[in-house]
Amino acid sequence: MIQKAILLCLAMAVSLGTLKAQKCDLILRGRVLHLENNQPIEAAYVWLSESATGVATDANGNFAIKNLCSGQKTIQITFIGHKEIKQSLILSTGKSNLTFKMEEEAVALTGVEVHGHREAVQSTTAVSTLFGEALLQSRGESLGESLKRVAGVTTFSTGNTISKPVIHGLHSNRILILNNGIRLEGQQWGAEHAPEIDPFLADELTVIKGAETVRYGPEALGGVILVNPPALPTTKKYTTELNLVGNTNGRAGNVAVSHAGGSGKYPGLGYRIQGASRRAGNIHTPNYYQGNTGMSEASLSGALGYSSSKIGTEVYYSFFTTELGILRDTHTGNLSDLLEIIEKGAPFNQADFAYTINNPKQVVSHHLAKLKAHYHLNPSWKLNFQYGFQQNNRQEFDRRRGELNARPSLNLELFTNTTELILEHNLKSQWTGSMGISLIQQANSNVPGTGVTPLIPNYELLNGGFFLMEKYIKGPLELEAGLRYDYRTVSAARFVGKDLQEADLIYQNGSIFLGGMYQINSNLAFTSNLGTAWRPPNVNELFSQGLHHGAAAVELGDANLDTEKSLKWVNGLEYEGKRATVELTAYANQIRDYIYLNPTGETFVSLRGTFNVYEYLQADAFFYGLDLSGTYSFTEHLNGYAKGSLIRAKNTETNTYLPFIPSDRMDWGLSYSLGKNPDQGRNRITLSNVLVARQHREPIFDLAPAPPAYALFNLGYSKKLELFKNTLSLSLQVNNLLNTEFKEYMNRFRYFTADMGSNFQLKLNYQF
Amino acid sequence: MKNLKKVSLYLFALLAFGFASCESEDPEKENEEEVITDVTLQFQELNASNALVGSVFTFKASDPQGIEVGKTPTIQSISLAKGKKYQMTIEVYNAIEKEDITKEILEEAAAHQFFFLGQVFESNFFSIQYADAGGIALGLKTTLTVSPSTGTNNSSMRVVLRHDLNKSFTGASNPNFSNFVQAGGETDLDITFPVILN
Repeated sequence: MIQKAILLCLAMAVSLGTLKAQKCDLILRGRVLHLENNQPIEAAYVWLSESATGVATDANGNFAIKNLCSGQKTIQITFIGHKEIKQSLILSTGKSNLTFKMEEEAVALTGVEVHGHREAVQSTTAVSTLFGEALLQSRGESLGESLKRVAGVTTFSTGNTISKPVIHGLHSNRILILNNGIRLEGQQWGAEHAPEIDPFLADELTVIKGAETVRYGPEALGGVILVNPPALPTTKKYTTELNLVGNTNGRAGNVAVSHAGGSGKYPGLGYRIQGASRRAGNIHTPNYYQGNTGMSEASLSGALGYSSSKIGTEVYYSFFTTELGILRDTHTGNLSDLLEIIEKGAPFNQADFAYTINNPKQVVSHHLAKLKAHYHLNPSWKLNFQYGFQQNNRQEFDRRRGELNARPSLNLELFTNTTELILEHNLKSQWTGSMGISLIQQANSNVPGTGVTPLIPNYELLNGGFFLMEKYIKGPLELEAGLRYDYRTVSAARFVGKDLQEADLIYQNGSIFLGGMYQINSNLAFTSNLGTAWRPPNVNELFSQGLHHGAAAVELGDANLDTEKSLKWVNGLEYEGKRATVELTAYANQIRDYIYLNPTGETFVSLRGTFNVYEYLQADAFFYGLDLSGTYSFTEHLNGYAKGSLIRAKNTETNTYLPFIPSDRMDWGLSYSLGKNPDQGRNRITLSNVLVARQHREPIFDLAPAPPAYALFNLGYSKKLELFKNTLSLSLQVNNLLNTEFKEYMNRFRYFTADMGSNFQLKLNYQF
Repeated sequence: MKNLKKVSLYLFALLAFGFASCESEDPEKENEEEVITDVTLQFQELNASNALVGSVFTFKASDPQGIEVGKTPTIQSISLAKGKKYQMTIEVYNAIEKEDITKEILEEAAAHQFFFLGQVFESNFFSIQYADAGGIALGLKTTLTVSPSTGTNNSSMRVVLRHDLNKSFTGASNPNFSNFVQAGGETDLDITFPVILN
């Protein structure tokens, strides 16, 4: 398998071509970046006085001036709000690639636009970002569902309201989610615990597909998801955005409003407030309603910031609360109940439409407060400080007798403090980098009074880490390397019956990465990143001991589990041409001591009936796969896109397949723009088709075989119009147009019910 | 600069507060209130005019730990006389919390129902009717008739308690309804008692 992956990467490397410059036919290539954060500058103007030719940089900051003769040249680069660069150079064959870094001018100059101090993702790993039009299309969906638009990202879901993002086959505690730069710390270990974040707060969702432990800390084995709100305004302007979404299936509706403004009196001072809510009732499959699958959700966030050329500060707060109904039939009494419903493959309870949420249900709330500051010691050195406080409350209610029904059977309160101090340098030479320390402190408590032995103990966690990263940029080449060391202590305690169980555990690990990017020409870039990552076993893997109702299973943790260690190699090839764009990612991930839940084959008998017994085990695992996405413009009016992903994952010790690995899938579609200016997409029809293969690589034990392959069709129409000089976007989307009955392998409810039937969705977005 | 100092002071205070407020609580003992540890079947003979006669005798299934791996429940054999009619009442108890769950089941009669299955019914050794007060189909109280002639002296009876079912589901009014799963809900008890017929 490794050979296969290597071959693939070799093939990629071979396909690279370079352009040769000839005498008096020289090409001057270069790249223009912000000195502050290395973000490319688009539309900077590059002028060569000798030949009197000029060009503007593209979205990647690249420029190329062709047909030059050798000799001395004076290059002049200008960009609004930045100090002009004027430099003379001697052009010969060997020197055709240059990097220019532009320094920001002081804010004191009135009328100069100060851009927000948002950190760019500085990674040589494959990075995909969802923003603008694509993000607009995802409005109204959960974070997991939205991210499915990125090739290589799928979801691990529990019904239609709970979905967790999966990057390259890994999810839950094996990936990291950052809410505005802070590691989201909720009860992520549970398969039915969705990330506590509302994508409405973001104007950009970024997926980093590499092992990014060095940068972001332990657990980022599979990748990192960044949920970033827009940068705060720094000048006197006010923007308001309104989003309305309505769905026929579940009769669901969203309202989201955000407002941002900047101060005229104090340049650099800005604020933003944002709120959203969602309400949905029972989901309808093509043939029946899923009882008790309604949900309600609300979120709120606010930020206040000040930035000048020297200093930047931001306070940020976000709140998220949700109440989720769980399909009644998934709460089974014992194994024979479970087997009966699996055999039927559909719920026994015949439900009608309702908004009411009964038990079983989850009630979750999450607070996040953040304080961030940076200080420019000088144009090249910057000090970053960040502190985050999070409080997560999770209550899970089961169907119980009498007054117990009103009491949660799981009631957890999790506090997390994260602090980071990072010193960054961005030298005028080719070197940029950062070093920093980070601290995570966490306390988890079971709120007493559930009437059930806690599934996970009370615990306290302390994690200290320090890291170092350096990047070298020379013309089209970027090289980076980094290392990190972490030390973690966990002390846990709980009562099982009348016995007090206690454990004190220590984990420590180092991680390193090495990466590079090569801009082969202005259209084509190649990236490669090799990194190690680690994940200490989670509390549930260490200490679980109890009944999991949804699976009619007794799950047993093991306090002696070792840390998981991964080595991931990601290679990316990105092509951006006039008509086509292509993004190819190939990866291999070797995980040592991968922790998984294994059926013991034993059953456990009680007065309630029989249950399967599962235990947490460790074995070496190997993941590899491919993501491919691309677009092509057939004509001015007709555009096509396609994306797909393949994942292979095996337990290499037993040579068996791992459970819940996404099956092969692709999504492709065509869009046709009507009207005179098709590039503006004012009137667009899109037809798309999702193809999902049956998962043939099944684990030895599963409660039910993998569901068959399926194909879904979606149809959309979007229109943009001017309303009071502002843009109003309207769209009508029909998902699962043919009302196809299907089951998704990665949905844990596939044992109990068919997936969602057709849904008509109307969206409205107005910015003023 | 003065301001900066102030800010950093506030910052530090906030940090200190944040870290201090976040210690995990000491664990507390949790009362296992949902668990059923003892199920007692109580029998008393009924005469031809359906009056209770003779003494009360009981058979019990118990699992003192509730749901815990490695322990199996103890189930007594039911011993009844052929050709006789009995009143059977069921008592459900949580010995860990010393709580009578029978009362709760009665209070939530609309959401609970016992079903009686197994060889004794399949081979027509027993016949059973709900005899709960108010004529409801619940099963805490039943009338059980033992056939005068059974081919064998050893058999078994399965007692299932369903919770949260649709009681008006077609067929659910029958205490021997073997497709009880179709009425929805979940199983609270599923016990197979050995039966000895004298």
